[in-house]
Amino acid sequence: MHGATALTVQDVTRRIQTTLGGEWPPAGPDGFKAGDPNTPVKGIAATAMATMDVLKQASKAGTNLVITYEPTFFGRHDGPAPPPASGVAVDDPVYKAKKEFIEKAGLVIFRLRDHWQARKENDMVAGLAESLGWTKYRVAPDDVLYDIPAATAEDIVALIRKRLNLRGGLRAVGDRKARVRRVLLHPGVMAPATMWQRYAETDLIVAGEVREWENTHYAADIYTAGEKRGLVTIGRVASEDPGMRACAAWLEMLVKEVPARWITAGDLYWRAA
Amino acid sequence: MTGREVVDLIKKNVGVPWNDRSYRDTFKLGNPDSTVKGIATTVMVTFDMLKRANQAGLNMVISHEDTFWNDRDETKDLTANPLYRMKTQYALKNDMIVWRIHDHMHAMHPDYTVVGSLRSVGVKGGEDAVMRARVYTIPETTLGEFASQVKRLTGSRAFRCVGDPKAKVSRILLGPGYATPRMTAEADVVIGGEQQEADGGFDDVEYVADAASLGMAKGLIMLGHVISEQPGMEDLAKWIGTFIQGIPIQFVPAEEPFWT
Repeated sequence: MHGATALTVQDVTRRIQTTLGGEWPPAGPDGFKAGDPNTPVKGIAATAMATMDVLKQASKAGTNLVITYEPTFFGRHDGPAPPPASGVAVDDPVYKAKKEFIEKAGLVIFRLRDHWQARKENDMVAGLAESLGWTKYRVAPDDVLYDIPAATAEDIVALIRKRLNLRGGLRAVGDRKARVRRVLLHPGVMAPATMWQRYAETDLIVAGEVREWENTHYAADIYTAGEKRGLVTIGRVASEDPGMRACAAWLEMLVKEVPARWITAGDLYWRAA
Repeated sequence: MTGREVVDLIKKNVGVPWNDRSYRDTFKLGNPDSTVKGIATTVMVTFDMLKRANQAGLNMVISHEDTFWNDRDETKDLTANPLYRMKTQYALKNDMIVWRIHDHMHAMHPDYTVVGSLRSVGVKGGEDAVMRARVYTIPETTLGEFASQVKRLTGSRAFRCVGDPKAKVSRILLGPGYATPRMTAEADVVIGGEQQEADGGFDDVEYVADAASLGMAKGLIMLGHVISEQPGMEDLAKWIGTFIQGIPIQFVPAEEPFWT
């Protein structure tokens, strides 16, 4: 055993905070979102988004601390918020049912985004590369470029879909038959300026999400201009999922007293028949 | 007639006070005082659409969305960008004019982007729709069947759905483009163009996925920006034709950019 008193959730999150360092302001996105921090911890689950499906799996697996990269309660307010904020209503049926499930199952939710992505190891990108089987192709010292075995865009898209278990969330722009070798990985949201600056050095950008009237429009115009570059968006959460598998592995090293595991949020989208 | 004269007539007929502070609804390319040979309306003035408009002899493009891949059409970081130069030079060489109408279209009664989008997915009764979304009732069906109908009617290849395909639905709440409405108690299905997937003002994707997981009948259909907001630009062309005659006025669609 690990001593007279059981390790609590708060003991674990304090260890996370001390190890990652930096400021943890109460108004920032990172911190507790639901549950009692004094709960003895039985196991830890890391996920890109604490959806109901993820929480059900966490509970079933006997893990009671859920570390999530994205919000739990449907937006940046992560719960009810007074006007003019547009958080979920306090009596919303989905909010109430989710909160009730968390309480009944004795789960505790802790959001970890800013401090996880600030790590110099850049695990969000490295984790995505690992899931794609591209770790060894990294173009050092750049964090985000990978020279993969050349193939057509459509073959690479098929490979991405298979390795990430995607359903309906993936959408591609550009020439299906273009030869792809240099890929830029950008989990999460890609801004227009990033694309303007870096598209020319890549054959394919794999991003989480973009704004369609900005980056997608740019990729479509590059295609019209005759350049053989592509853009693939796989979904924000799907793109962040592998980085949280890396987080689970990190937590396993940091908290040896209890098991830590990754629970995939998966691809939430499907396509019409 | 010049580009400027076309815009003056639009301002006179738009039916709402003109807001000169709108950074969106301005000339983006070309000489406003060039003679207009024909007008092309479109949702997105892509390079491909620009070329097709020119080939059709339509040298004035009226676009709902941006020209230079950012909402403000800010070009100071693009002056050395080869694509920016190519697109700009193509337009100037062919004496084309690009003008954007976004904010005022959404203020119009009706808002043609909403009218067109409702029509395109087969929801009836939206002929007078405005930007503020309201719920429309359709005969009860399943989310999966409704999504198949949307696919058939719009011809879209790449739109995305969330929720249980077997859920029974009849109450539809639609907002085109980036104006995807938040799910409410009064709606079963939200239809939008695009929206930030998570960590936004209200995350429909997670909400609908969780509702489905809890056995509540909710659905989300994200059509994509072009597919969702484009149909109303045909209505806009017809509307412009009610006060500008003597030159061709055509809807020139942008292509759905995606394959899957």
